Amino acid sequence: MTAKRLRLGILIGVSGLFLLAWIFPILWSLLNAFKTEQDVLAYPPKLVFSPTLDAFRDVLFGATSILPNLASSFIISIGTTIVTMALAIPAAYALARLRIPGKRWAGFYVLATQMLPPVGIIIPYFLILRNIGWIDTYQGIILIYLSFSLPFAIWLLVSYFEDIPFEMEEAAFLDGASRLKTLRRIILPQVQGGVAVTVVFVFLNAWNEFLFAVVLSGNTVRPVTIAMFNFVSVEQTLWAKLAAVSALAMLPVIVLGVVAQKHIVKGLTVGAVKGGGRR
Amino acid sequence: MSARGQVQLDGIVKKHGAFAALKGIDFEIKPGEFFALLGPSGSGKSTTLRILAGLDAPTSGRILVDGEDVTGADARERDVAMVFQSYALYPHMTVFENIAFPLEMAKRPKAEIGPAVREAAAKVKIEHLLDRKPGQLSGGQQQRCALARAIVRKARLFLLDEPLSNLDAKLRLETRVELKKLQRSLGVTAVYVTHDQEEAMTLADRMAVFMEGEIRQIGRPADVFAQPNSIEVAAFIGSPPMNLIPARYQDGSVLIGGRRLPTMLQTHGERDVVVGVRPSAVRFEADGIPATVEVVENLGDAAILDMSLAGTALRARYDRFPLPREGDAMGVTVRPEDIHLFDPVSRRRL
Ligand SMILES: Nc1ncnc2c1ncn2[C@@H]1O[C@H](COP(=O)(O)OP(=O)(O)O)[C@@H](O)[C@H]1O
Ligand SMILES: [Mg+2]
Repeated sequence: MTAKRLRLGILIGVSGLFLLAWIFPILWSLLNAFKTEQDVLAYPPKLVFSPTLDAFRDVLFGATSILPNLASSFIISIGTTIVTMALAIPAAYALARLRIPGKRWAGFYVLATQMLPPVGIIIPYFLILRNIGWIDTYQGIILIYLSFSLPFAIWLLVSYFEDIPFEMEEAAFLDGASRLKTLRRIILPQVQGGVAVTVVFVFLNAWNEFLFAVVLSGNTVRPVTIAMFNFVSVEQTLWAKLAAVSALAMLPVIVLGVVAQKHIVKGLTVGAVKGGGRR
Repeated sequence: MSARGQVQLDGIVKKHGAFAALKGIDFEIKPGEFFALLGPSGSGKSTTLRILAGLDAPTSGRILVDGEDVTGADARERDVAMVFQSYALYPHMTVFENIAFPLEMAKRPKAEIGPAVREAAAKVKIEHLLDRKPGQLSGGQQQRCALARAIVRKARLFLLDEPLSNLDAKLRLETRVELKKLQRSLGVTAVYVTHDQEEAMTLADRMAVFMEGEIRQIGRPADVFAQPNSIEVAAFIGSPPMNLIPARYQDGSVLIGGRRLPTMLQTHGERDVVVGVRPSAVRFEADGIPATVEVVENLGDAAILDMSLAGTALRARYDRFPLPREGDAMGVTVRPEDIHLFDPVSRRRL
């Protein structure tokens, strides 16, 4: 009993340590967002200060508003997520169910794309987009993001589809459902947890992406990850504004996480009750 | 209406690579019949049922339902309903939605669906559970939900693959009786897969005994029990299983334990045979063949005696009390009509 309690104590202690290391930069950044530029640079750092929304007001409604950039990020991320899911769900279902020649090979390809160092392919991507005139366009950057997010989403979703016993579909066929009806009414509701997880990952990857965006975007398409550097120049770094932009950029991610969490947990419990083995 | 649900299988072969799971299956099922596919695990019963349902395609052969060739037809075009061993209930839907699903797919009007679902649920006594999800049901209730989903559409064929095997023994017996009543009241053709010979015996109008991808015998359960056509069928049907004793046949009798037992077979000559005797057919008489009781298995209202007669093992059912004790000497005999004779080489009935 005491040994058990001791183990629990150590576990909580170590976890707390990691949590602290993880949360410190986030807290530091959040605090800075509510400071004036002078307070940010004060030494020793001020823990007690008079909070202000000046930084937020400046980055949202000032001369260099990041609102268009947030919009840009949203268009890219939502666009990538919608196209990815629309293609990945049927592809993953097919990969999990049908006997297709070269299925194993397809699985390897999917993983291989995740291992390529992005810098290795960024130049060919740039040349391709330039030749078709898609540099600095939404369709251009979404297309490039798809080349990563689509294989990843398929790979993630396949395992959820594979968890559903074949008899589930066979029952639906015998009940008179077509393959598409079966997917929509019987299969998808059972993988909604997996779909939620995948949506979160795909959206986050697109939202946080920097390297490709910096090369392939321009003045029309300028996501917030790039626009942040408006506040960093050779002469000075506007820390409070930078922190305010960070906080704003984090907000949709947090909202998405909270919303998706409900579905993820629900998906898990649905998976737990389904009966029957797989053939 | 009553003429619906006639089935004919013609030379069905199913190969998985070089392995033949079915080696040529032929049978015919009459409308309204309760037909069992009985056999040990791996004998091809489920494969046959799945081919009949349209879930798998045969390598060769034809399937006719009501005279119409459905060999190439999709599962959903065949108008058959199936209960899976795992029930395959849709976990995200309520019991009501599960039962309503086949009607919805058949595009029945909404006003019709509610009453039909309630009627099917009432038939299997789960009308109070319609708002639950499958995960909130006991095993027996899930099984009933699967049954209701299968009967609600009034399909012409009702296929069941070991539907009772996930229930505990007591519930299995209860459900067995209800299943029979249900099928009778619906008048629907049922094809029932089981490895439990008792289930097939009690439920089926006729049954096909499967072994190694072949049908070994087709007939009414009582006939198959009374006249098994091979040693394998004889050994599979009946519990405890039939005694199978190698012996010598001569001019209308067999030599067992140093005594001659007359048989129904009355041909001249001498040959090796396998004598089949059901444990329940062994009779006890003071002047019978001397036997020693080795083990007594008391079943409560009867006992199974493991006996030895001149080195030959024999199991017998004994229902008089007090029971004999281990080591007791008894005399046993068998009436001629209770002796089954088989050829030891061809393994066929003589
Ligand atoms: N997809 C498959 N691939 C290879 N062998 C199979 C396949 N499905 C079934 N079999 C084999 O076919 C035989 C019959 O199986 P089945 O019809 O399920 O038997 P049962 O009588 O127990 O229902 C078994 O030996 C099984 O291993
Ligand atoms: Mg089976």
